[in-house]
Amino acid sequence: MAPSPFLDPGPTSTSNTLALLHLKRDLLVPTVLSSAPPTSADDYAEGKVTNTRFGSFPHSTLLNQPWGTQILASKVDTGSRGSKTKKRKRDGGDTPRCIEEDGEEFKGGKNQTAVTARSGFVHLIPPTPEAWTLSLPHRTQVVYTPDYSYILQRLRARPGDCIIEAGAGSGSFTHAAARAVFNGYPDEEPSISTIEPAQNGTTAPTPKRKKRYGKVYSYEFHAPRAQQLASELRGHGLASIVRVTNRDVYNDGFCLPPLQTSSFSTEAPSTLTPQADCIFLDLPAPWLALKHLTRSALSPSTLHSLSSPSTPSPNPTSNLTTQTPPTPSTFQSPLNPAQPTRLCTFSPCIEQVQRTISTLRHLSWHEIDMVEILHKRLDVRRERVGLAEEGLRGANASAATVEEAVHRLREVDGRAKLFHELQMEAKGEDVEEKEGGEGKKEEGSLRGKSKFKVEAEAARLSKQRRLESIKAKAEERPLFKEGRLLHRTEPELKTHTSYLVFAVLPRAWTKEDEERCQKTWGRGVKDS
Amino acid sequence: MHSYIRPNTYIALRLPSGTLKVLEIIPNTTISIGKFGAFPSNLLLGRPYYLTFELLDKDEGRATTELRVVPASELHAESFAEDHATPAESRDEPAEGGGEFDIVGEDGELIMRSNRLTVDDPSRQKLSMDEIEELKKAGTGSGKEIIAKIMASHMAIDEKTPFSLAKYTLRKSKKYLRRFTALPMDVSLLSQYILEKEAHRVMELREEMLGLIGSWANVHCAASSRVVSSPDGRGMIGGGRWLVVDDTGGMVVAALAERMGILYPEETLDDGDEDLEQEQGQHQVPEDPTKERKLSSGQDGPGQSAAADTGTDVMMVDAPSPEPPQLLSETLQSDRSNPPNRRSDNTAPSSPPKLPSPELPGRASDGSAKETTDHTHQKSRQPRPIKPQMSALTNTLTVIHSNAQPNLGLLKYFSFDATSPVPTHPLYTNLKTLSWLQLLHPSEDASSIEPEVVPDSVLATWKSGKRGTYYRKRRRWERTSRVVKETRAGGFDGLVVASYMEPAAILRACVPLLRGAAMVVVYSPTVEPLVELSDFHSKERRVAYLARQNNGIENGKNGKRNVEEGAENNEEDGGEADSDFPVNPTLLLAPMLQTARARRWQVLPGRTHPMMTSRGGAEGYLFTATRVLPVEGKVEARGRFRAGKKRKVASDATAST
Repeated sequence: MAPSPFLDPGPTSTSNTLALLHLKRDLLVPTVLSSAPPTSADDYAEGKVTNTRFGSFPHSTLLNQPWGTQILASKVDTGSRGSKTKKRKRDGGDTPRCIEEDGEEFKGGKNQTAVTARSGFVHLIPPTPEAWTLSLPHRTQVVYTPDYSYILQRLRARPGDCIIEAGAGSGSFTHAAARAVFNGYPDEEPSISTIEPAQNGTTAPTPKRKKRYGKVYSYEFHAPRAQQLASELRGHGLASIVRVTNRDVYNDGFCLPPLQTSSFSTEAPSTLTPQADCIFLDLPAPWLALKHLTRSALSPSTLHSLSSPSTPSPNPTSNLTTQTPPTPSTFQSPLNPAQPTRLCTFSPCIEQVQRTISTLRHLSWHEIDMVEILHKRLDVRRERVGLAEEGLRGANASAATVEEAVHRLREVDGRAKLFHELQMEAKGEDVEEKEGGEGKKEEGSLRGKSKFKVEAEAARLSKQRRLESIKAKAEERPLFKEGRLLHRTEPELKTHTSYLVFAVLPRAWTKEDEERCQKTWGRGVKDS
Repeated sequence: MHSYIRPNTYIALRLPSGTLKVLEIIPNTTISIGKFGAFPSNLLLGRPYYLTFELLDKDEGRATTELRVVPASELHAESFAEDHATPAESRDEPAEGGGEFDIVGEDGELIMRSNRLTVDDPSRQKLSMDEIEELKKAGTGSGKEIIAKIMASHMAIDEKTPFSLAKYTLRKSKKYLRRFTALPMDVSLLSQYILEKEAHRVMELREEMLGLIGSWANVHCAASSRVVSSPDGRGMIGGGRWLVVDDTGGMVVAALAERMGILYPEETLDDGDEDLEQEQGQHQVPEDPTKERKLSSGQDGPGQSAAADTGTDVMMVDAPSPEPPQLLSETLQSDRSNPPNRRSDNTAPSSPPKLPSPELPGRASDGSAKETTDHTHQKSRQPRPIKPQMSALTNTLTVIHSNAQPNLGLLKYFSFDATSPVPTHPLYTNLKTLSWLQLLHPSEDASSIEPEVVPDSVLATWKSGKRGTYYRKRRRWERTSRVVKETRAGGFDGLVVASYMEPAAILRACVPLLRGAAMVVVYSPTVEPLVELSDFHSKERRVAYLARQNNGIENGKNGKRNVEEGAENNEEDGGEADSDFPVNPTLLLAPMLQTARARRWQVLPGRTHPMMTSRGGAEGYLFTATRVLPVEGKVEARGRFRAGKKRKVASDATAST
């Protein structure tokens, strides 16, 4: 199996891997590249084609291109494909076309060469957790980059760690976590180094002692979502790093049965516990899952005290679990016993936070801390102000300075005076005409009015001319560096995503441990 | 990796006041925590992190100073007490009146004391300063007694509202409680520590920005990435190599290295097992074979030789090897002849590294490398297992520095000293450094001159010290010329900049060194430099740039060549940048400017609210963009509305913002 395009995309795009077509900053279209030729008249003559609002892109133009290449759109007849069958009329927003009309019979098994269109392009980029977060199919609320980057930083998720994620949702955190803990593909290592050393010359030969590979244990209550996430991860080459389990963690905890389905992930059958170093809970009631995240079995009294401070809890599940506490003999901690365990919960409401923290305190977690992340994106643009901007797009045509305003006022004033004089003149003529005969009067008023009109027309024309000249001048002006450089928050602002609760559970430390340690290290300076 | 406190590592002690005390814990020494006292370091060694200890002095029947682990229940005791108290109160509370503090219930019962009766008078504390001092000197207990006495002698303790009482207790505990918490030294903690102490040193880089930088730069462990040579055969494409410009004293490098799994010395990676050798094998082996072969090719790199240390005498520290000095190429030579056995000392010989020849970067020069090394080959020495410094192929950081030496002082907290690195530290091989001079004008670098090759017969007559110097010089020259060559060949996976230098100038030099789809991340404590940088990549400017470029093409090939040469110049050098186009705006896609800030909350029963104060100073901003490879010639974008009307814009403006 090829390495995941998320972790090592290689220099160029290859078939059967995920690629993203970058249309706009927040608009990326994921597509699995395919070199498969058309197999029926229903397919595009060019093979697989991705249609976007910026044109059609046959995969033959996307394949084997260096990542980051600008790809021009192609002329793809999206019109009449497969019109005879009329089956896929609405597929991808395309209407069928008739291949025969082009004088071309359908020839299966061969991709027609794509013809470059006159306009339209995209950029071809490999998937990253950030890009995927923007383009993934939303199933639930997504944990966005500002949040997950901070969470993973605070959780100290490092290569080789194991991380529990409950409430996988749309999988944006899953991908980011997989990147954070990745330090090699567990099951592929031997096969690659023996069978295909050429392909992957850098893969480690099996070390003497077992290396700990970073792993994400992902739990999702909703079965279809879990299924979909698992299949996505398989497609992304991350199946060996992420193990998706469909489970209700409130009741069933985090320990896993030895793996039977190789589809979700593979792992030595002996490991039953995730041995987690980090935990991320994106659950509606994280406090219900916490009782499973302990170093040792909880005594019934602790369990009771956990539920008692929150007695008015109407949640039936909490009762259910307290009735079936794991017996000490079968208890297995899902945590890594040799490391401090870090936890983060992600809850939108303050009440959830309060209950979570109260439970954390009862369960002896340390370093309890709650934060929220305020993230802003900034718009940068140039603001051009001035009378010279009149009629231009994206500029403010009000006066830029007091001088400019005064100048304009003088100009307007002068024009008003002229206008007034003209009016007076016209009136005077009227009076004159009144004094004259009836016929003359009409003629005169007409003359006066037309003179007035002519002037007005001239003024209008002058404005038109002015605008035209401004426009013409603007062509010459280096508008991109004129005006004042400003920044402001982008119009869409996420003011609240969720509250993040962090906590640390130190290693278990017993009296015996302490005694052993005292023996090893002695009592210090004075004793030694 | 931070499973327990190991000797001779840095740890942080958090005192009740919240201040961090960072120290190197050395066995059999005394650790002093200021007014709270002192204790032997051995009482901490071997213990787990994140525990809170209480200092018990050696009187009162104790023979020596002791540390008591404070259980979590005791730490949270206060909030538990309220946990049970407040719900009782809050249940009676009318929903609408719940927010008021000075509440008397409807039946006149006191629900919460109000502050109506509070007297603002310091004389209400009956204990005098001297008395408190005496109590402290007596040093009984762990401070709890003092606090208890102080509380007891406060005349109006029961007049206080729960809120002010809690605050009062907290204030006193901060002052007198003799407790501390042992924390592991990692990047997040270091950033907090430095931020409190000398924020300017790390460009006021906050933890949330570290997270964002790492994410947007797509930095991750790439030890198993494929090694793919660039089409021209001079360098590599990708392979998990990131270019860094770091004026934060190593904070950014540390954060990136942590994400790549190369920050912590190997022995701390495991839990309890002290087998060093093996650990190295695990982590580093993947890269070795190619790494070392590549090294040999760097040896005769024509013209681009340069030394990372700019001719100072740092080369002395360059060879911290306990082994006899030996020419690296020699090692390589024997490696090549016998690769499977080479590493048998610490790895399984099962998988001989076989890189397909076309994928071997710079392998064209292999032949000549052989020539240079042939004369040394006669001497049959055992190849030493140590990998050459800065020789990793994948999963590397390349730091470009503006002084003769990189400033990576903060790495000392992770047992790495850039001026005299320990070969066992992963950064020894995976951190590469070179100066701007070496990058842009390698021929002008003083140390670029290849040290004369001395034939073996002559060498044999030299004194060992002289011979050692000779080998050191050779090695240093080999190393720097190799790093310079591969850096100039480009193909990096990303660029991370946190520098006081003008960002546009850095980008002009570095962006061409990035592969397609590489991420560019620029941090700045203030927004203005990044606003300017964003403006250099604005849509309007890009349109103007393309128009100029296209005009050039239309005016004939000369024009085009000029444009290209201009671009070339820009790549090669800071050059004379076009004042209108300091950077080529078509090389970066989707530039974005962002900032993030964590807001901390206090969560206590009935007293949940955001923290009243936090750190001000620079906000911290991030510029991110993707390196792209624009197609040559005129490109027309397609507008948003294609329906019927052929609405086209004569630029790529609409499409690519």
